[in-house]
Amino acid sequence: MIPRLDPITRLRLRRFRRIRRGYVSFLILLGLTVLSLLSNYVANRRAIVVHYQGEYFFPTFRFHDMATFGQQDEYGFDDVEADYAALRARFQEAGGGDWVWMPVVPFDPYEPDFSYEDPPPNPPDSRHWFGTDSQGRDVFARLLYGFRISILFAVALVFTSQAAGTAIGALQGFVGGRFDILSQRFIEIWSTLPFLYVVILLATFFKPSFGLLLVIMALFEWIRMTYYMRTEVYREKTRDYCLAARSFGASRRRLIFRHLLPNCLTPLVTITPFALVGAISALTALDYLGYGLPAPTPSWGEMIDQALDSQNRDKIWLSVAPFSALSATLVLVTLVGESIREAFDPKQYAHYR
Amino acid sequence: MGRRFPLIIPLLLLALGARGGAEDLSAIEWETNTDDPPIGDAAARKGGEFRTFMTAYPLTLRIVGPNANDAFAAWKRAFTMALTMVSRHPTTDRHIPVMATHWSVQEDGRTIYYRLDPDARWSDGRPITAEDYVHTWEMMRSEHIVDPFFNQYAEDYFEEVVALEPHVLKVVGRFESWRPLDMFALWATPRHAVTLEEGFPDRYNDAVLPVQGAYVLTERVPGQYVVFERLKDWWGRDKHYMRGLYNVDRIHVRVIDDTDRAFDFFKKGELDYYSVNTARMWAEEMDFEALQQGWAHRKRLFIDYPQGVYGFAMNLERPIFRNKDFRKAIQYLFHFDEINSKLMHNAYYRQVSAFTGTEYENRDLVPYGFDPRKAREHLKAAGFTRRGEDGILVDGEGTRAAFTLSYGSKGLERHMTVVKQTFQRFGVDMSLRLLEPGTAFRNGLEREYEMTIMGRTAGLFPSPHQYFSTVFKESTNNNNVWAFGTAHTDSLIDVYRFDTDKERRLAAMHDLDAIVQDEAFYVPFWHAPFMRLLHWDHLRFPEFYFPKRTQQMTDWQVFWVDEDRRERLREAMAEGRSLGEDKVVDIDPYRVKDRIEAALRAAAAPE
Repeated sequence: MIPRLDPITRLRLRRFRRIRRGYVSFLILLGLTVLSLLSNYVANRRAIVVHYQGEYFFPTFRFHDMATFGQQDEYGFDDVEADYAALRARFQEAGGGDWVWMPVVPFDPYEPDFSYEDPPPNPPDSRHWFGTDSQGRDVFARLLYGFRISILFAVALVFTSQAAGTAIGALQGFVGGRFDILSQRFIEIWSTLPFLYVVILLATFFKPSFGLLLVIMALFEWIRMTYYMRTEVYREKTRDYCLAARSFGASRRRLIFRHLLPNCLTPLVTITPFALVGAISALTALDYLGYGLPAPTPSWGEMIDQALDSQNRDKIWLSVAPFSALSATLVLVTLVGESIREAFDPKQYAHYR
Repeated sequence: MGRRFPLIIPLLLLALGARGGAEDLSAIEWETNTDDPPIGDAAARKGGEFRTFMTAYPLTLRIVGPNANDAFAAWKRAFTMALTMVSRHPTTDRHIPVMATHWSVQEDGRTIYYRLDPDARWSDGRPITAEDYVHTWEMMRSEHIVDPFFNQYAEDYFEEVVALEPHVLKVVGRFESWRPLDMFALWATPRHAVTLEEGFPDRYNDAVLPVQGAYVLTERVPGQYVVFERLKDWWGRDKHYMRGLYNVDRIHVRVIDDTDRAFDFFKKGELDYYSVNTARMWAEEMDFEALQQGWAHRKRLFIDYPQGVYGFAMNLERPIFRNKDFRKAIQYLFHFDEINSKLMHNAYYRQVSAFTGTEYENRDLVPYGFDPRKAREHLKAAGFTRRGEDGILVDGEGTRAAFTLSYGSKGLERHMTVVKQTFQRFGVDMSLRLLEPGTAFRNGLEREYEMTIMGRTAGLFPSPHQYFSTVFKESTNNNNVWAFGTAHTDSLIDVYRFDTDKERRLAAMHDLDAIVQDEAFYVPFWHAPFMRLLHWDHLRFPEFYFPKRTQQMTDWQVFWVDEDRRERLREAMAEGRSLGEDKVVDIDPYRVKDRIEAALRAAAAPE
């Protein structure tokens, strides 16, 4: 499926790397994404590694009860989740060979921290770097996990919708004729469906989840890509090289994958970063409105909602964190997109006569 | 059509009049009540201006028809138009004369005769007669008003409204009620000023009509403000119950679309009164200069008004909630004190009874406190004995202790996520599902949920029938959202509905209340039995501030403006001189706080 890198593409990539602001943004984004994929090891209530009585435990994705480590809570229960922070304190006090390796931020994005005198939200301090939100949850942890969800969602959405849009659009252009006319009419009708209402409607029947939201949004997102691909293929298939290939007896498959698609890639590549921006904003907007992922999923939209609540109008840290994170991400993605567009711009080679 | 209409009305009146004449009025045993104290304070002074706000400029001045049921309706009804014939005294709860001096309820529980006050005058000087009430009924039934609610209401509640004599009115309700005076109440509509014809909504959209009440609307600037002015020669000003009511000469209602912004207006002294709606504001923003200098006062007035059902409702038709032990475990895992102290500034009180605030409330009930040990025992009894891979309890058949809470109020989401974390810690998984409010409400009525948040308003008298009767258990689309009811509880409800002996009614309801608590399908949340208000020093109130049954400031205008104090305040503010900070915040004239806190102490005391 994926065309081998031809010289032109290689040239374009080299050119992209030379546009520094885009390339650096790309590296930063990549780094942040990797970091967020490791969220569970960066911000978590659960320890990364526990060494206890000669045994190693890796609780990040596993539930260990208190009994495992000889703990008990204030009600005398030992089957509730182990308290790793207390465990670490205990081990340090006892000396000995047992130890706990806690994440840098020992909070997950769900558990409220009610240890302050004042009710939440509590301002930033050494315990919570970005403060706590109105439920006492760590803002940094929520920001990090929220980024992971945003970026994964955006990538998944863009991938599926661009793939579907490319396939359908290319097919329209390639097959043409009645199929093109009918499918184009269908697309016109489909694109008039009010997206938000459909989401609200479906949310009453199904419980919103990552997958469901992805499917719903993909159902509307693929349309835009078809317009570009359709025209591209329409144009390209009448070009001389295409006719030449056909006259050499190239199979339809070879024609599509070897000749047409690689030559139609420019709009796909240049639009994708902006589609990513759109996807991140769309999920944030949905969460802000309350029709996105269900609480308590960490999400930037929900954080913005809290920040804008008149109850929190003097809690400035609640707005600083999500707004700067959102704008930084969008700026980075846009810079990458701009640079890709520049790198792929065919006009650099155009000779005007 | 338009030509025929004027003919029909006189004919109709003739027919009604003829029927009315046949009634023997001498046999009626009239009833009245002159024994209760006036609603307001005898010390109240007339005069001055009262400045307050509303969040939106009214779309219409009508009280029926399109857009009439907006927030401004409360103002219109309270100040000008909709005075009923008889009212309940907001402190003694007994009926008192308002527009009617006497009344007589017949044995059928739906026929009422009223003798209207002959002094009553419209603001244009014409007498208010029984025909004006008939006119209201006609208006409510008329298709010209374009108001399906009132059309339906007139249809469902009133069989007939007849003017027997200029000042004798007969109202027949559609069904039997044990409190027909409350059920079949009407207000008067000026027959001489309101005609029911095509185009009614437009014609009366901005019409200032003659009023029954003490105030007329005199000025308005769309989008900015309206002004009500007191009628100096109002017919009711010297009536016993009206003494001390309707004191200020001018009421200036300004449009401020945001309540937080209105608070800033109050602090600047541009509003005389502000009602604080959030615990956070009450806890965190009460440190402004005017309060510290004693120029303004803040009061938490405890009022005694029934609280409706408010809390988690469990659907007894769903397998997981069929198990009573599981339901009890949920009760013991609900950590109200934590939510109250950490998320609500300790501002609210736990509800216990299903009939909170009524005399039918069982005050011996002790709330389920947060008690993980007891919860643990009940979870074990329900079969949830071991923890699964993810830390959630599992029973012998592999069923997880998990359910979904669907709710429509985004504002409660932060409380619910905290509840979820507590549940999770003790092995119960509650997923949250926010729905559009209308959908959440409908899903509740149709029992399309596992657990939901139910909130209802309550009247003075509880209506256990609609919440707990087996009649509604069999069908959906009613307030028996939990699908509860047994033959025994039905018999208790019947005692309440039909028994004439109050002691027996009380006993039955107390039993029912205890059963509802024991069945544990309703986890009561919290209530706020108070009004949190701020006012400047020149705005004065009776010692009791507001009558016992007040729900909002517009209900009873017992306050007045003291011009001498306004002058004193003006000087003090100009000089920056303190009037002495008013440290008394809590006002509890009806001993509501005492009662609630004593009950809480009793519940917290070791057994």
